[in-house]
Amino acid sequence: MSENLLDIKDLNIFFKSDKNPEPIHAVRDLSFSLKQGEMLGVVGESGSGKSITNLALMGILGDGAIVKARECSFNGRELLSLKEREWQKVRGGEIAMIFQDPMTALNPFLTVEFQIVETILAHLNISKSEAKNKAIELLLQVGITSPKDRLKSYPFELSGGMAQRVMIAMAISTGPKLLIADEPTTALDVTIQKQILTLIKSLQEKNNMSVILVTHDLGVVSEFSERVQVMYAGELVETGNTSDLIKNPHHPYTFGLLSSRPGAVERLAKTPLASIAGIVPAFHQRPVGCQFNPRCVHVQEDCKKGSIPIERGVRCLHPMMEALS
Amino acid sequence: MRDLSKEILSVDALHKTYDIKKLFRPTLKLKALSDINFHLDKKETLGIVGESGCGKSTLAKVLTKLEPRTLGEINLQGIKYDEISSHDFHSKIQMVFQDPYQSLNPRKKALDIIADPLRINTNTSANETRDLVMAMMKKVGLREEFALRYPHHFSGGQRQRLGIARALMLRPEILILDEPVSALDVSIQAQVLNLLLELQEEFKLSYIFISHDLEVVQHMSDRILVMYLGRVVEYGSRDQIFNNPLHPYTKILLESAPKTHREKSNQAITVKGELPSALNLPKGCAFEPRCPFAKPGCKESIPLLEIKQGREVACFEAH
Amino acid sequence: MKIFFSELFFELKKNCGAMIGIVFIIFSLFIAFLAPLIAPHNPTEVFADALRLPPSFISGGKAGFFFGTDDIGRDLLSRLIYGSRISLSVGFSVVVISLISGTFLGVVSGYYGGMIDRLIMRLTDLIMSLPSILFAIVIVAVLGPGITNAIVAVSVVAVPNFIRIIRAQVMVEKNRQYVQAAKLFGAGNARIMFIEILPNCMAPLIVQASLGFSDGILNVAALGFLGLGAQAPMSEWGTMLSDARSYIESSPWMVTLPGICILLTVLSFNLLGDGLRDALDPRLKKQN
Repeated sequence: MSENLLDIKDLNIFFKSDKNPEPIHAVRDLSFSLKQGEMLGVVGESGSGKSITNLALMGILGDGAIVKARECSFNGRELLSLKEREWQKVRGGEIAMIFQDPMTALNPFLTVEFQIVETILAHLNISKSEAKNKAIELLLQVGITSPKDRLKSYPFELSGGMAQRVMIAMAISTGPKLLIADEPTTALDVTIQKQILTLIKSLQEKNNMSVILVTHDLGVVSEFSERVQVMYAGELVETGNTSDLIKNPHHPYTFGLLSSRPGAVERLAKTPLASIAGIVPAFHQRPVGCQFNPRCVHVQEDCKKGSIPIERGVRCLHPMMEALS
Repeated sequence: MRDLSKEILSVDALHKTYDIKKLFRPTLKLKALSDINFHLDKKETLGIVGESGCGKSTLAKVLTKLEPRTLGEINLQGIKYDEISSHDFHSKIQMVFQDPYQSLNPRKKALDIIADPLRINTNTSANETRDLVMAMMKKVGLREEFALRYPHHFSGGQRQRLGIARALMLRPEILILDEPVSALDVSIQAQVLNLLLELQEEFKLSYIFISHDLEVVQHMSDRILVMYLGRVVEYGSRDQIFNNPLHPYTKILLESAPKTHREKSNQAITVKGELPSALNLPKGCAFEPRCPFAKPGCKESIPLLEIKQGREVACFEAH
Repeated sequence: MKIFFSELFFELKKNCGAMIGIVFIIFSLFIAFLAPLIAPHNPTEVFADALRLPPSFISGGKAGFFFGTDDIGRDLLSRLIYGSRISLSVGFSVVVISLISGTFLGVVSGYYGGMIDRLIMRLTDLIMSLPSILFAIVIVAVLGPGITNAIVAVSVVAVPNFIRIIRAQVMVEKNRQYVQAAKLFGAGNARIMFIEILPNCMAPLIVQASLGFSDGILNVAALGFLGLGAQAPMSEWGTMLSDARSYIESSPWMVTLPGICILLTVLSFNLLGDGLRDALDPRLKKQN
């Protein structure tokens, strides 16, 4: 048995649809692993496959999806061979997830108390009053100051930041080994974002929990996660230590992403930003060869055919060597 | 500091109050904007920064007359807002919206979306309109053959270009940009920001750039207005605000914004709690309940904007 | 718009019921248009020697009168064929009248809100608080019996459905940013209501129009049955049903055949309406 909590090798996700006879290849040869207690940042734009991967890990992708992998083991168990009932135990128990929009993830007609207690009872074998005490304890843990009052609230009475705290409380209620945070702060203001991310970070360290932090914002990752992987059009394009990757990106996409942010390099205000031309290709118009080749400024002939392997953390035949300045 | 000959827009003591009517309950007053003062120079970009609920979107609506103001005066090129004919108004001030999916009519072709401002406001012939539309599409980086497509054929970035083209058709002098890139993917944001910079140069535009993304605002703006709960808390030049913020809220905002390239600061100041309800504002400084530097005096009265170190700040404790 | 309809048809093709409905509707349109060519006899021509003949394929029937004859010796098949003209045009008129007035009132009501909205909504509540056929009877009683008045009455009854559907949709659409953008370049209220907003409310309207068609046919037939709609010798299905009801035991075909015609026509429009709803709903969700 390996020491990794999560080991994924060559994960491929396809979607069937009525309109296209060819299944859509949404995630391609994705391999990564996660140690117990480690935080991994996943950065990608829309269509990068980052959210689909998470849903596949939770086993909630729906009927049209085909998930294949050479290995997809979590805590020594092969996830893809689990039966639905076993998966239900893992989901919400050992792997928990929080979403971008906490308001829609909470049921608007039920109190916070009902929803937390229900989650606890579903996974832990304790009495209702114990569950309620645990709920209060959890709300305190996630920084809610008057937990008894909050338990009686309905979701619409909570602010966005408060609702996300409640979601986190629910997620950690069963003592998960892995927390998947899918854009947990995109809908929140920056001051609240900082509070929530700090909270997730502290819970990770305190509970020795692994966290996958999905975001489109490299800034978020750079401050909170030691390790990062960048995804583009369903592929992992670059992975590594966050500060190294940000200082010295090798994949042209990572380079472009970083240098297109106004604050990335010292530059005069109101001067043109470096930008990546074109758009992320749609699922059914994915190019042959390197997925980034139509937009890449360093593209060469060999980029346009075959599949590109990952070498030293970069999926690029002609990685960039100069540092971002 | 103010040079009236350069000024294109000035806002004096602007207030906006919404009445919240509820059955069987007294009408509540929601102060969305309180005592807003600022001015905008020609060819300048004024950045407006603040979190949700600070009133920046309300400000955009009031400036574009989508919502009436409650009190105060707005002058456009020295003429009072109420005295400008609606035709003149529309051809002077236009807006680019945040959501490129909602701001384009899904049942209209790109050509019609861009051409309608001309068709409604001018007597341009059909052929000439077409030519002008094509020229504008080219300017904003859309290919001519896209003219007959519907919005759902366009990507988010292209839709935002369409929205910009539409706003520019009447050749306005002021463009209000309400979070113009926050709905776009990171790699697309830079494209649109570059386009906005080019267009500002070419059409001599003045921008009011509303955003919650501080790095973007810093890059785009000449001067910056920081808002909190309907009030201006700090108002100064880009360098003043970003290099030497005085108001605690500005400091915290800058501190909280995730940055890719920053030495991790040791003295992390984080803000306590969340935004108080706008229906029930504190008696004193609105930021006092969350402020790490608050003194007892802050609860007593609302700090007014005063000039400190060359910019306006509304804080008793800033010096 | 063209793409809209071609996509719509693509979705519809997958729906078996809707396709059956469409085929039958096209079939009846065909018959209605070509009635003078298809019908073997003049629908009002009386054959004094052929009273209440059973259909020709039953013993006692006579060749030349395929579906038999009625109590005063008119050819039933010809009357049914001509009846389809009346029913379809009645359905069409009802839908056109109620669609146009309902859409107008609904858009105005949803867009302006306030007093106008309250006035229009209370009016629709009033109409909807009575059983629709009862209200139609009241209107016909005031205006006098006849096919035109029956159409007017049935249209009035159908209007509230359109108003409510359109109003709800307009209230959603009017808050979208594209409407604000239109205001910003100086579009007037009429333009915003009918050029910007209305095309985005088409989907539920199309469904309601299809269902309104069958409601219209059914209600006018009901009025005809009660003697308040089409008057003799017009070969309207409802009226035919009513004229034949005293012979239900001796000559059951006289009642059955017009009844089946009404059933099939109404059913096919309902099938189409349901199919349209299924086809348009995911599109609606995608847009939101």
